[in-house]
Amino acid sequence: MRKVTHYYSLTPEWQYDLVKQLNTKVIDDKLIIVPDDIGKGFFYFTQVMEGISVVYADLTTTAPFKLTRQKSENELYIFHFDLSEHINLIKINEIDYEIGAFNRLDLAILDNQIESTFKPTINERAIALRLLIDKKLLHDFIQKFKKRETTFNHNETSNKKVFYHYGNIDSNSILLIRSLQNKSVSDLSYDSFIKGISLKVLGNFFNKFYMSEDKDAQITEVESEALEKTKNYLTNNLYGPFPSLTFLSGMAGMSESKYKSLFKKHFDNTPKNLFIKEKIKLAQKLLRSGEYTTLTTVMYELNYTKLSYFCTKYFEVLKRKPTDDFVKKYQIKKVT
Amino acid sequence: MKIIKHYYDADLSWVEHYAAQIGGKIEGNFILLPEDSQSGIRYFLDCGDGIVAYYINVEYQRNFQLIQQNLNQDFVGFYYNLTEGEASVKTDFHVYNVGRWNYNLAVIDGSLESEYNVRKGSKTFALCIFIKKKMIKTFTQKNNIVIQNIDSILDPKENTMIRFDRMSNESFHIINDLRKLQVGGSIFNLHLKGTVHLLISNYLKKIATRKIIIQTVNKTDLEHIIAIQMYLIEHIKDHFPSITQMAKMSNMSESKFKALFKKITGNTANVFFMENKLLLAKELIENKQLTISQISDQLNFTNNSYFASKFKEHFGLSPKAFYKQL
Repeated sequence: MRKVTHYYSLTPEWQYDLVKQLNTKVIDDKLIIVPDDIGKGFFYFTQVMEGISVVYADLTTTAPFKLTRQKSENELYIFHFDLSEHINLIKINEIDYEIGAFNRLDLAILDNQIESTFKPTINERAIALRLLIDKKLLHDFIQKFKKRETTFNHNETSNKKVFYHYGNIDSNSILLIRSLQNKSVSDLSYDSFIKGISLKVLGNFFNKFYMSEDKDAQITEVESEALEKTKNYLTNNLYGPFPSLTFLSGMAGMSESKYKSLFKKHFDNTPKNLFIKEKIKLAQKLLRSGEYTTLTTVMYELNYTKLSYFCTKYFEVLKRKPTDDFVKKYQIKKVT
Repeated sequence: MKIIKHYYDADLSWVEHYAAQIGGKIEGNFILLPEDSQSGIRYFLDCGDGIVAYYINVEYQRNFQLIQQNLNQDFVGFYYNLTEGEASVKTDFHVYNVGRWNYNLAVIDGSLESEYNVRKGSKTFALCIFIKKKMIKTFTQKNNIVIQNIDSILDPKENTMIRFDRMSNESFHIINDLRKLQVGGSIFNLHLKGTVHLLISNYLKKIATRKIIIQTVNKTDLEHIIAIQMYLIEHIKDHFPSITQMAKMSNMSESKFKALFKKITGNTANVFFMENKLLLAKELIENKQLTISQISDQLNFTNNSYFASKFKEHFGLSPKAFYKQL
């Protein structure tokens, strides 16, 4: 197994040491062609703007190969986007993480204070975009990130000084990185292209990161319209019995289970509970209207058959008894 | 008609004067204008390296005439202009109609005086990029772009750079992606800088590789081809109209139509149509309002699997995978 160590810096110097170990040379401070004894491919490095640099790797290894990144003095975060179609391994703190492969986790954010090892699978094309970003630029992000550390999806260390995160790339960034894959390095304007891509990918990442904070339940317009329709139907038919879920879901054009879960997501209540709540609110109105002589008449009006049940529900919803609100018909007469 | 004299530059020195001339205020990176003259967003950003980007997304409430007379002539302006409405640029001799369906990319040397006329009711979406001439040279050198006679192109005595062109479909979609984002803030700035880099890369690649300059194409032919492009975009949800029909619409023989279309847009009509269709499909998936099969039906794909395979062929991942990772 070939083992190579390197470190990262925002400036091109880090490549010199790496090429010595690889027995190759760096072209124009940017391009490293992988020598034949390891495989085919290249590394491309460029400085995007102040505080941001990018390394793009596209290689197919023919021999076992291990690339270890050492700690370095620079305060950096490394965003590793992996678009390989098979699994590569990243070893962090002696634990192997699978990365790459479609529909799996393909994004890793590493602190360069932690050592990590990248092991590409043999005879498969590995494609990775690594953004190196100065910690100073990410101040706000890190603080937000720490707050959300517990709620964020995957494995993270709770170590306060260093952290890493493991997640998914958003689709648009995949497309961007993919378009990079289709360009040849020798192509004109490759450099500004990769810079543009890097910035867009980073922008997408932060967009997603900050947007997901206030992301509400994803319901399409058609669905929410259908839900509103059934809700209106319920509130317009409070005098009758509950029309059954089968009926309501049919009205919304969904399956019962989908209807139930969407309804709950959208209105924060089940259809039946919402129906009862509205019904009891109506009951309160009727009771206070002073047009009924007994509680029982109100109860029958609203299609309840047992007074005790009605009273329980009433108390459950409004936290008071029906008698507290009841205004008897003859009392009104006395007053007027 | 409001007549305004102003100047641009490849640093931010023009902003204050410009804002004062059009009657606006500067707030952060925005230039705010009273609603009765134009409504929308004007946003500028220094992208570093002698590059300034100016983002405009406004609706004009009255006629405007902007006369550009630059104090500092050592820069080149790239104007990506997607105006829907009437707008034109007048230089010394010629009047060019600009906008989404006219010349939508103008490259004008800072040493030239130009006049921009825009009619009330026009909706302008434009991205202007100002680059120091020196930067173009180092930029091309830094990025290994070989342009023959770069020195003479940039030498004002020999040649003033002025070019009216149609942006490539790729550039159009890069700009369109930018348009979807909320303006302002550091995330947007990242996107804007990224967009500028991609556009410059695209453009330089184009002038370095493509021999034909659109200005040399017969004007009526150009109009016909653009009309067809417009027709295709308007009917993007339908089936592909046959080449025969389109050639007939543009009064050309089929072979001439095909050749000219490719010359001007860089792609065949069918590829152009399919590409835009798939990009629309992608947008629809992003909106999450329709299912994949609904999208496939709406866009008149014969069946879902054909749609999925086309999508995968173009974007490299299937619609479902795309949807899942949004």
